[in-house]
Amino acid sequence: MESVVRLQRQLVDYTASLFQEGYLDEQFIQLRQLQDESNPQFAVEVVSLFFEEAERLLDELAKGLSQENTDFKRLDAQVHQLKGSSSSIGAQRVGRICIAFRNYCEMQNVEGCLNSLQQVRQEYSSVKSKLETLFKMERQLSAAGGSVSSP
Amino acid sequence: MPAKQVIEEISSENSVYSPMVTRFRFVFDRLWAFASSWKTSSTPRGRRIFHRDVEKEEFQYASTQCLSSYYSVFVVRLAIMVMLAILIGLLTILTWHFTKRYTAKSLDNLAYGLRFELLQRPILRMWNILNSTAEITRTQVELSQYVIRRYSKPANQAEQVEQLYEAMKSVTWALFSSRRALNSITINYRNGFVQAFHRDLKDNNTFYIYSDLANYSIGASVANEMKSLSTHQAWNDEAIRGNRSATWYREPLDPLSGEKIGKAKKIAPEDLINIAGISQVPDGAASWHVAVSKFTDSPLLSAALPVWDSSNKSIVAVVGVTTALYSVGQLMKELVEFHSGYIYLTSLEGYLLATSTNASLLTYSKPLKLKMAVDCEDDVIRLGAQWLKRTYGKDFPPSHGVHVENVKLGNQQYYIDSFFLNLKRLPLVGVIIIPRKYIMGKVDQRAFKTLVILISASLCILVIGCVCILILTNGVSKEMRLRAELISHLEARRKAEASSNYKSQFLANMSHELRTPMAAVIGLLDILISDDCLTNEQYATVTQIRKCSTALLRLLNNILDLSKVESGKLVLENAEFDLGRELEGLVDMFSVQCINHNVETVLDLSDDIPKVVQGDSARVVQIFANLINNSIKFTPSGHIILRGWCENPNCSSDSRNLPLNQKSRTPQKTRMRQQENHAKKASKKDNQIILWFEVDDTGCGIDPSKWDSVFESFEQADPSTTRLHGGTGLGLCIVRTLVNKMGGEIKVVKKEGPGTLMRLYLLLSTPMDATEQHCQIDYAENGLVVLLALHGDTGRSITSKWLQKNGVCTLEASEWNELTQILRELFHASSVHHNGFDAHYAVNKSWKSILLNIEEMRNPTFVIIVDIGLLDLSTGIWKEQLIFLHKYFGRAKFAWVLNHDTSNTIKMELRRKGHILMVNKPLYKTKMFHILEAVIKERNFELQKTNTTASRTSTKEGDAHEFLEIDSTHLDGVSSDGSDISEMGASNSSNGEKRRETIVKSHPPSQYNKNNCFVGLTDDYAEDSISRKEESWKSSPNCRDIHEDTEPKSQASSPTEAQERESGCGKTLSVNCSSKTVNGKKSLEGLRILLAEDTPVLQRVATIMLEKMGAIVVAVGDGQQAVDALNCMLGAEDSTGESLMKERSTISQTEIISCTPYDLILMDCQMPKMDGYEATKAIRKSEAGTGSHIPIVALTAHAMSCDEAKCLEVGMDAYLTKPIDFKLMVSTILSLTKTTS
Repeated sequence: MESVVRLQRQLVDYTASLFQEGYLDEQFIQLRQLQDESNPQFAVEVVSLFFEEAERLLDELAKGLSQENTDFKRLDAQVHQLKGSSSSIGAQRVGRICIAFRNYCEMQNVEGCLNSLQQVRQEYSSVKSKLETLFKMERQLSAAGGSVSSP
Repeated sequence: MPAKQVIEEISSENSVYSPMVTRFRFVFDRLWAFASSWKTSSTPRGRRIFHRDVEKEEFQYASTQCLSSYYSVFVVRLAIMVMLAILIGLLTILTWHFTKRYTAKSLDNLAYGLRFELLQRPILRMWNILNSTAEITRTQVELSQYVIRRYSKPANQAEQVEQLYEAMKSVTWALFSSRRALNSITINYRNGFVQAFHRDLKDNNTFYIYSDLANYSIGASVANEMKSLSTHQAWNDEAIRGNRSATWYREPLDPLSGEKIGKAKKIAPEDLINIAGISQVPDGAASWHVAVSKFTDSPLLSAALPVWDSSNKSIVAVVGVTTALYSVGQLMKELVEFHSGYIYLTSLEGYLLATSTNASLLTYSKPLKLKMAVDCEDDVIRLGAQWLKRTYGKDFPPSHGVHVENVKLGNQQYYIDSFFLNLKRLPLVGVIIIPRKYIMGKVDQRAFKTLVILISASLCILVIGCVCILILTNGVSKEMRLRAELISHLEARRKAEASSNYKSQFLANMSHELRTPMAAVIGLLDILISDDCLTNEQYATVTQIRKCSTALLRLLNNILDLSKVESGKLVLENAEFDLGRELEGLVDMFSVQCINHNVETVLDLSDDIPKVVQGDSARVVQIFANLINNSIKFTPSGHIILRGWCENPNCSSDSRNLPLNQKSRTPQKTRMRQQENHAKKASKKDNQIILWFEVDDTGCGIDPSKWDSVFESFEQADPSTTRLHGGTGLGLCIVRTLVNKMGGEIKVVKKEGPGTLMRLYLLLSTPMDATEQHCQIDYAENGLVVLLALHGDTGRSITSKWLQKNGVCTLEASEWNELTQILRELFHASSVHHNGFDAHYAVNKSWKSILLNIEEMRNPTFVIIVDIGLLDLSTGIWKEQLIFLHKYFGRAKFAWVLNHDTSNTIKMELRRKGHILMVNKPLYKTKMFHILEAVIKERNFELQKTNTTASRTSTKEGDAHEFLEIDSTHLDGVSSDGSDISEMGASNSSNGEKRRETIVKSHPPSQYNKNNCFVGLTDDYAEDSISRKEESWKSSPNCRDIHEDTEPKSQASSPTEAQERESGCGKTLSVNCSSKTVNGKKSLEGLRILLAEDTPVLQRVATIMLEKMGAIVVAVGDGQQAVDALNCMLGAEDSTGESLMKERSTISQTEIISCTPYDLILMDCQMPKMDGYEATKAIRKSEAGTGSHIPIVALTAHAMSCDEAKCLEVGMDAYLTKPIDFKLMVSTILSLTKTTS
């Protein structure tokens, strides 16, 4: 029981730090609230969906940018998608960079786009690792018999 | 000078000066403004640091301006006065001066003329006298020469002499008598004979004087003549002497005729008159001199001429004529008498010849001599002469007259004028002295008077002017002062308001800042409490801290609310909410608190209250939470009733079914009628209604004098209550401000019996279309009999009345024994015989009638609602009691009213025995409604299919259990003091519920959370209670099982049975519909939504969100799929027609997905293949002609208005931005589906 409490506290702290450092925002809370008995793994599900899609999009973006004549329109649409999905799970840092990214796309600034892509990748990987850690902790906690739901 | 003129002049001058005055004023203003601003700016510098208000400075500036203008008015007033004074003074002096000067000048001229005239006349007279004297003398001489020549022949000397003298006498007489003014005429012959006529002017006697003829010979004298040339002097002296020696005679004569009237008398020579002798004509020319008579005291003017003989060689005789100057003096006197003043004549040497006074001209010393003018007896003349002499001395201007004004002689001022009359041998000087008083006296006097009058008049005008100015400007200055005061007051008020505003803002900010750490503290404490390693003491302490923190947080919340309202930051939301549900939750919450206090909480809402109203649900709940909280605090025992009814213009409130205190309420109504009317007017438009509420408790009550003041901040009816009950006195204040903000009013009203009755009304609007659609089930048809075995009297009676109103027979029991009696009576007596029942049990009449009614019922369904409190829980007896009740299980439906702390063992026992209808206390309308509904449903199913009852009841059990849990959680979300209640819940709830409690607790009690929770729960309930509905398959797996369970059964059943089931289904649906209205409008229950979204993440999130709300979601990946899905639907619609109900129940799952009519489409704008705009266009195109219109909501990440415009342009109905806001989405969907459905 002691370990549960410790885990719980850790989880709370970790979540709070994620929010504080701006990795996540309210949208994530909303996501959590949608999670209930009928969908106990809803948040995890959605987040993993996000991971898949984001990786796909990032690949495509990298491919698009490496080409000789870049199709900025397509690029823009892809970044838009990435932005939409990241803001849906509350990964606000990623979303913010996407906004800048889109501006570069509009300006057709390849350099800026590449730069942004680099940043997005960075942010994405960090948020991914954070979220994975979070879910891992939650799994541990639920395995230990504690309540996961208090963020 | 007339004062009018002065005033006119002033006014004219004023008009001239007025621009100057204003300029002066301006200058003064500037000066004063500068001075005062300097003064004021230097003094309050220290204070200004604290107030950084700009407004204040403005005010200060205004006030200094005002002050300066006030001073300037003062100064201007002074200036005007001074100027007026100067003006009037100048005018006076000038006027006086000019008038006086011109008058004086003209008068001087006149006076000069007068003086000249006056002096001229005596001089002329003198001149006349002199002339006439000279003429007479000459005439006499001529005549004498003639006569003497005739008689010069010495024929008969004696005779001839005699004749000569006779002739001479007559000639002389003729001359003498012709001139009345003459004093005397003398002829002195050479021989010494003297002939003279003398007229005494005093007694008017005329005398003839002659000497005796001692020497008759003229010849002798002629003879002597030769010698006499050398010895002339000697002759003369001798002659005189000789004459003296001679005898002289005087004959009085008749003055007119010259006849001798008396005898000649001998007199001494030269006794009477001066006889001009030869000595007086030494050179033969005429001589003049002024003589002094011995007998008259006036000077005489005498002239002497010699009479030459025919050869002109020798003097024969000397003729002398004397004239008195008396007449000149007389004339002068007359003149002076008339004109006043003094006139005198002097010789050149200064001897006085004539004066206008009676002063004698002669010295009294012998011999008589003429006086000098400077020695005159008359003071004025003497002084004048002295002055003249002193002034001019020897250099007396001989030819020019002297005209001197204002010579001071003695004490008076005089005019002195002198004229020089240059007569040969006798130059004369005439002097006239006229007192100034005579000429200028009046003028001077008048001038003085005028001056005095002018001065006094101007003084008066000055004084009056000053007073006028004072009065005039006094008004202005008074106004100024008032204005200054007003401004200072305004400033003070502004300051006070500002400071109070600052306070509110400060509080608002601070309490917000405080709340955050408080929440953290409480959260951490919760963690600490859940830590198991605490010792008991530590646990107790932490719990204590937790409580204190909660209390502190509550206080902070109150302050925040209050200051929010005060600082005007509180903005009421305007969202639809289920009022009844909110209030029920509230009552549920408080009943938990009340049970410990032995207080019954009752909710009594009238049926006409609309289910859904628009307003700020959190605030409405807060109002009642505070009121009820307050009531609980002061109510140790009894009940607290929350009553509510609707004041609807079209439904009269008298028909309400409100049993309690109806009498006491009616008089109150008239009192509040006015506000009602007012509110009613407002309610006419935009569908507003007035909701009346009462919170009635049986506490200690409030003193009537405090009825108003309890709503003030920090005000409590009795200060001592703080010690007993705690609290800050903010609660009611918040309530009042909130109520006022909602357009309502709250007051304490009188009630019968102890306690307090708070009445308030709120002005809330209802959604246009949702006015009345709750379909009331007619319970009467169902033949229900309800036995209410409840503990609380108030609640029971209210429930029973409500049931009766709805056509349900009720029986009441308040304790176990009563219950058993009634049960026995109902089931035994009715089956055996009721006579015995009548005999055995003394039941009252109402029972009897009810029982009779029940008798008449064809197939009554008994519902027994038992309060768990009726059982004896303290001992083990309750099990036996349960067994006793269980005997009636088959014949009646049991519903249990549980306490919140009812132990699980009891619940388990009840469940085991098959009692699945359980509700928590308190029992109110909605719960009753559910119970009855469930009972009816059950009965219907029993009627329908008896063999499925067992399985159904088993599902029922689970459902009911869940329902209970829902109930308890949903009230947590509703509470305004969420943490407090959750704490209570945590302490009271059983272990199974604990987790749920903590979930709610840990969320901040925001509106969003509440709604979310609320909606979810509604959903749960809906799914559970209507398990046979197809919708439920999707969300809950166990329900789906049931569904599948029932599905084959219905298929297996005969067609008639299926038909019957259809009707049952219909019924269920109708019930369902009503329950839906009960459970809230926010649910998207039954809506079919097509979601077109390409991003998998978003698709999943949106789907879950919508499904949570009970909607059926079909998700597609792009616009093309969306269009396809819709086309398929349209086609299906065409083929299947309007029997949708049937379709829904029979067609397969996949069919539903592809071919169900969608109520709404959520369309992402940016999608591959076909984007949202294209898809929408295509859909709208296909719709054209069919007349249908599916609402399409755009989902876009472009949060720009141009996108919105584009969305609406292509035919979308609404617009949502990503990330999706849950609440916004729900409300948007609702608004769209409502308008279309």
